[in-house]
Amino acid sequence: MILPTEINVLDISAAILLVATFGLIVRRGFSNWVHAYRYQTIVLAGIVALIALITDIWELYIVSALTFGIKAIVIPKILFYVTKKLDSPIKLETNPYISMKLSVIVSALLVAMSYFIFLQLNIESNEIIQVFLPVSFSLFFIGLFVIISRRKALNQMVGLLTIENGLFLFAVSLTHGFSLIIEIGLMADILLGVIISSILLFRMSKTFDSIDIKNLESLRDD
Amino acid sequence: MDELSFTGIIFGISQVLLLVSLSPLIVGIMRKTKAKSQKRIGSPIIQPYFDIIKLLRKDEVISEQSSWIFRCTPWINFVTAVSVAFFIPVSLIYSPFGVVGDILLVVGLFGLGKFFTILAGLDVASSFGGLGSSREIMFSALVEPALFITIFVIAIFYGGTNISTIVSSANEISFLAAPGVLFALIAFFIILMAETGKLPFDNQSTHLELTMIHEATILEYSGKSLALIEWSQAIKQIILLTLFVNIFIPWGIADSFSWSQIGFGVLLVIVKIISLGILIAFIEIRIAKWRLFRVVDLIAISIASSMIGVIFFFI
Repeated sequence: MILPTEINVLDISAAILLVATFGLIVRRGFSNWVHAYRYQTIVLAGIVALIALITDIWELYIVSALTFGIKAIVIPKILFYVTKKLDSPIKLETNPYISMKLSVIVSALLVAMSYFIFLQLNIESNEIIQVFLPVSFSLFFIGLFVIISRRKALNQMVGLLTIENGLFLFAVSLTHGFSLIIEIGLMADILLGVIISSILLFRMSKTFDSIDIKNLESLRDD
Repeated sequence: MDELSFTGIIFGISQVLLLVSLSPLIVGIMRKTKAKSQKRIGSPIIQPYFDIIKLLRKDEVISEQSSWIFRCTPWINFVTAVSVAFFIPVSLIYSPFGVVGDILLVVGLFGLGKFFTILAGLDVASSFGGLGSSREIMFSALVEPALFITIFVIAIFYGGTNISTIVSSANEISFLAAPGVLFALIAFFIILMAETGKLPFDNQSTHLELTMIHEATILEYSGKSLALIEWSQAIKQIILLTLFVNIFIPWGIADSFSWSQIGFGVLLVIVKIISLGILIAFIEIRIAKWRLFRVVDLIAISIASSMIGVIFFFI
C-alpha cells in the first residue's frame, strides 16, 4: 500500500498525537485530563490502524480496535465514574509542584530531548520508526513528568496510562506488534490496574478526605 | 512579483480600502454572534459603522494636562494600521506593495501603535490609564517572543519572512506537507486572541471594571479620537484574521492576476474571515475571563507549541 507522499499523513498524525498529549499538561480539571487521555488514545488507535495499513499486518487492525474499545471507551468510563464519585469538592489541580506555564515549557523541552535521543540511537530505521519512535519517547517522558510534578492521585494514574501509551506506540512502531495474545494480555493488565488503582483512590479519599499524594507519605504501619 | 504597474497599484489600494471598510463589519458580526448565542437580540451588524459616524460628529474633551502624545496617538494608531494593510495579500497571493515590507515590519508597526497607546494611557495620569498601560505592556512583552518564534517557524517552513513569499508557498504546499506548521497554527491562534483582546485575555465589552486592559488605556478619549482608535482596532483585527486565513488556510486564493480568479478570491477570503470571526466569537462565549496571572499559561502554551514546530522542521 503506497500512501500519497504529498500529504504527509505519518507526520501529521504524529503532530496530532503530540497536540493531544499536551492537552494533559495544559488543563487543570480532573475530567479534562480524562478527556485529554481519551483523545490521545483515539489518535493512537488511528495511528496503529495507519501502521497496519502501511505494513499490511491484519493483526494490527484487531489491536487498534482493542485499543479503541478498552483504552478509549472503557477506561475513560471508569475514570469518569471515579471523578464523579470522589468526595472532594474542588476537582481541580490547585497547586502543582511545578507551575502550569513552566510545565508546558518543560514538556516542549522534553519533546526536543526525545528527538535528540532518537538521533543518537543507532538503529536501522524506516519511515514509521523515524516518525513515531521519537513521539513515543516524548509520550513516555511527558507521562513521567506529569507523575512527578502533580499532586493529585488521579493525575498520577493518567500519567501512568500515558507512559503505557508511549510504550505501546514504541512497541508497535518498532516491531509492528507483538503476537495478538500478548497484546490482549497487556490490555487486560491495564484494565485491572486501572480498576485496582481506582479502588485505592476511593479508599484514599475516604481516609484522608483528599487525594493529595502527600498523604501517602504518612501511610505507615505503626 | 515586481508588478508596480498602474493596475497593480490601483488593485492594491482598492484591496486596502476593502479591508479598511470591512473591518467594522467583522466587529459587528462577532458582537451579533455573541448576542444571539446568549439569547439576546443584540445591536445590528452595521452598528459599529453607526458608532464611528456618531463619534466623528461629536466634540472632543481633552484634558489640559495632556501633552502632544495624547493628541497624536489616535492618528499614529490609524496610520500604522492602514499602512500595515498595504503589505497584506488579501485575494491575490502577493500584495502589489509587498516588496517594501515583510512580516517583521507588520509586527513592528503594530508595536509602534501599541507603544503610543500605552504612552497615552500614562500621559493623562488617570489611575485607570496607568493600570491599563502596565497590563498592556506586560502582555506585549510576553506575547512578542511567542509571536517571533511563531513567525520563525512559518518562515523556515515557507522560505522567507516576506508575506507574499509565505502566502504563495503556503498556497503551494500547505501544512498538509509540513506538519510543523500545525504547531505554528496553534501558537498563532493564541496570539491572535491576545492581540485582538479576546476573552481569556481581555474583555472588550466591559467598561469601568478593574479587569479591563485595552479599554483602560483609551478611557480618556472621546469624539473623533475615540472613533479613530476603535476603527484602527477593528482594522488591526481584520488584518490579523486575514493573515491567519491566508497563511494557514489559503486554498482558493488567486495565484495570478486575472479578474475572474481575483473576484472569486475576494469572495472566498471574506467568507473565510467571517467564519473565523464567528468561530472566535463562539470560543469567546464558552470561556470566562481568566485571572491576569493565569493568562501567562496560555502564552506559555503558544511558546511551547512554536518550539515544537521548530523541532519538527529539523527532523
